[in-house]
Amino acid sequence: MAATATPEIKPGVVETTESKPKSGLEPGYVVVCWNDPVNFMDYVTHVFQVVFGWQRKKAEFHMLQVHEQGKSVLMRDSLEKAEHYVHQLQKYSLHATMERAE
Amino acid sequence: MKLIRTTKTRLLFHLGHWEAHLLLEVLNLYPCLPPAHHKLSKQPGVPEPEANQQLLDEALAEHRAENQKHLHALLADRRRFAPTEKGGRLSLPPAEVEWVLQVLNDIRVGSWVLLGSPEAIPAKLNAKSAPHFRAMEIAGYFEAQLLEALNGGA
Repeated sequence: MAATATPEIKPGVVETTESKPKSGLEPGYVVVCWNDPVNFMDYVTHVFQVVFGWQRKKAEFHMLQVHEQGKSVLMRDSLEKAEHYVHQLQKYSLHATMERAE
Repeated sequence: MKLIRTTKTRLLFHLGHWEAHLLLEVLNLYPCLPPAHHKLSKQPGVPEPEANQQLLDEALAEHRAENQKHLHALLADRRRFAPTEKGGRLSLPPAEVEWVLQVLNDIRVGSWVLLGSPEAIPAKLNAKSAPHFRAMEIAGYFEAQLLEALNGGA
C-alpha cells in the first residue's frame, strides 16, 4: 500500500482557493432523459445499458423514473461528456437533453 | 420472426413470408424522423447553443447516412438477408443488431411524430394517418422481437 504524504503546513500562511468559472471540463451539466409515449420500456432499458454500460437493475431504475416522473437525470458530467451522451441517446431516438446542473 | 440460433458472432432469425415482406417495407422508410427533431437542451445555460445544436445536427445527420449505407448493404447481402422457401432468413452480428434497433426506432418515433405525436393511440385513422400508424406498429413489432432475442429469448 502506498504511504500517505503528510501535508506541509507553514505557520502564518493561509491558503485560499478561489472558485473558478465553470469550464467545459467541470461536471456542471446533467444528461436528462424525458418521457414520451412511443419508446418501449424494454427499449429504453436496453439503450441505457448499452450507452452507459449499466447493469439491468440500474437501467430499469432510471427507465421507471422516466416513465413515472416524466424524466430522469442520468448523469452529471462535463460539457463535452454530457454532449457526447446526449448524442449517443439521440442516435437511438430517445428524448434526451443536457441541462446546466443547479 | 423467431430466433433460431445464437453464436458468439451471429444471431440467426427465421421470418415468415409476411414478416419478411413487412420488414423490407418498413426498413425502406428509413430515415423517417424529421432532422430537426432532436434538441440539445430545453433550457438556457448551455454555452453557444446555436453552434452546439448545429454540431449535434451534423453528427446525427452523419450517423443516419452511415446507418443508411449499412442498411442498403444488409438488404443487398444474400448471406445476411435472404428469402427462403418458408419466408426469409436474417443473420446479424450483435453489433449490427444495435444499428438495426436504431433504424427501427427512428422509423417508429418518426412515424409517431408524423401522426402528430399523440399521447395515446388515435381513436380514428384516415388515409393520411393510417400509413404512419402502420409503420409505427410494424417497426415496434420487429424492435420487440430483436430485444427479446438480445435478452435470451431463444
